[in-house]
Amino acid sequence: MTGKAQAAGAAAMPVRTAAWSWWADLIASAGAFSVLIVVALWVRGGGVQDLRGWAAGLTSLGRLTGLVAADLLLIQVLLMARVPWIERTYGQDRLARWHRVVGFVSFDLLLAHIVLITIGYAATDGASVTSEAWTLVTTYPGVLLAVGGTAALTMVVLTSLRASRRRLRYETWHLLHLYAYLGVGLVLPHQLWTGADFTGSRAATAYWWTAYIACAGAVVAFRLGLPAWRTLRYRLTVAAVVPEAPGVHSIYMRGRHLDQLPARAGQFFQWRFLSGPGWSRGHPYSLSAVPRDDTLRITVRSRGEGSEKVSEFQPGTRVLIEGPYGRLTAARRTAPRVSMIASGIGITPLRTLLEELPYAPGEATLLYRARSAEDLVFRQELERLSADRGLRVEYLLGPRGRKDSWLPAGFGDDARALLNLVPDIAQHDVFVCGPDEWMQSVVRAARQAGVPPERIHLERFTW
Amino acid sequence: MRRITMWFLATIAVVVLLFSYRTSTGPDSSPSAGTLGGANAPGVGTATPVDPGTSAGTVARSGSATVADGPAVQTKRGRVQVQAKISGGRITDIMPLTVPSDNNRSRDINKKAVPQLRAEALAAQSAHIDAVSGATLTSDGYTESLQAALDGAHFQAKP
Repeated sequence: MTGKAQAAGAAAMPVRTAAWSWWADLIASAGAFSVLIVVALWVRGGGVQDLRGWAAGLTSLGRLTGLVAADLLLIQVLLMARVPWIERTYGQDRLARWHRVVGFVSFDLLLAHIVLITIGYAATDGASVTSEAWTLVTTYPGVLLAVGGTAALTMVVLTSLRASRRRLRYETWHLLHLYAYLGVGLVLPHQLWTGADFTGSRAATAYWWTAYIACAGAVVAFRLGLPAWRTLRYRLTVAAVVPEAPGVHSIYMRGRHLDQLPARAGQFFQWRFLSGPGWSRGHPYSLSAVPRDDTLRITVRSRGEGSEKVSEFQPGTRVLIEGPYGRLTAARRTAPRVSMIASGIGITPLRTLLEELPYAPGEATLLYRARSAEDLVFRQELERLSADRGLRVEYLLGPRGRKDSWLPAGFGDDARALLNLVPDIAQHDVFVCGPDEWMQSVVRAARQAGVPPERIHLERFTW
Repeated sequence: MRRITMWFLATIAVVVLLFSYRTSTGPDSSPSAGTLGGANAPGVGTATPVDPGTSAGTVARSGSATVADGPAVQTKRGRVQVQAKISGGRITDIMPLTVPSDNNRSRDINKKAVPQLRAEALAAQSAHIDAVSGATLTSDGYTESLQAALDGAHFQAKP
């Protein structure tokens, strides 16, 4: 534990939970407001009056669905643009889940738009739907491009359905997902050139240009620019790979100016190691030690594609970074006493937090779940924290217990066992990290044991 | 060739092909698309050339025939102006002088709506006609311009 890290932890103690919720409300309101603007522009353009006749009504509904779909598409892009204020407020796990929901909704609206406009126009013109569709695609400005864009977006949606997502390699899925940007770009021109709500009103034109430019700017700045700049500035390379437990390795990295890297304990980066094929896949790993002036450390369990080769990383391997991301930091703390509950490799961010957080002897407890003693990672380091700083460590070892239980077999009721382990848990901040389902059962037990939801802090890595 | 390279090339090829299509590089502004069939038909010669800036109508008489231009009525989608021909106390023809045609949708709508409005007005012998479904704006502009043209010619519908 360095003095510097301790100071950083203490400085973060004034709790700003209220500020977080204000940000959250503000950003969510901005999102809702953008949809409101779009609908209001439609109403202003006579969208409601048009609903009377059925042909004009279908056209009008088609216009509305198209406009809302376009707006949601842009929100989609923005949710994933790694905009720091949005990231910090909601956390990447929640943003990714919303991205998925908003994505399917906007795609459904997009399909509705196509069907409604085609039928509505056909009815107005007295043409058949197929000939109207042909006229639209071949003679309306930008519509052929929009068809191309729709094809790209369809591919993105189809490859993201759970059934197909499971069958695809991550790299393949990710590359195909980039076609979403192409799709969004290709649907823009027909909106500008053909869309009645676009060409008709100066306010609408101003709104849409602003929205598109802001989204493109956010992607270029935060998704591409910032990571590239940080990668070049900090020049991380692998310094050493050290085995910690069966299948678990720590990767030590060296770089420049690391004292200026704005990373906090509990945060993670997307890492790409330029070690050969498969480098293009980013891996979300938490820092497993507080960053020092010249060294970063992550700790990785080899599982699934990509991470097997961790043990073969050569010193000097270049590392590309995106981040730091994540809000499982000291800033979430609200109470003097704190419990950390970890399972398996989920120990990494919590161990780092235990290094950075200020606490008096006896104020911090770690409950660490693992299959067996030899699977425990950082045992020596935890024991040292225990001796030096009075951290209480409880290992919960053994094979899986009952289904949906966070404890090994033989511990009885989930919530009562938690109360036995930490009798005053209701007064603690509870940080949780581990597999998804396991975290859910920890949260259930903690809630039953009387921990208010705002004191339970966790972040998911599977989405 | 590696699969990723093939995807990349195929994507570029598709995007280039999409953009080489004529509708993909900007709104169609060819002047021929803007004129309406019938507007240049012979026999309209007496009409004063319309200055698009003015909205007032003009009336020209020759013998028993009157040619009255309505004012150019501004609608949200563009200007509408018609010319009525009155002969022997009857509206004998209505010509569209200007209709919204700055985009495809307006052109397509008006190609169908304008003849329909003309037929309705000729049958009714007045500007009190129903709007064409899907072309409300054009219909409103059409009837307003027509009414003004008829008023200017002091046309009274025969009972």
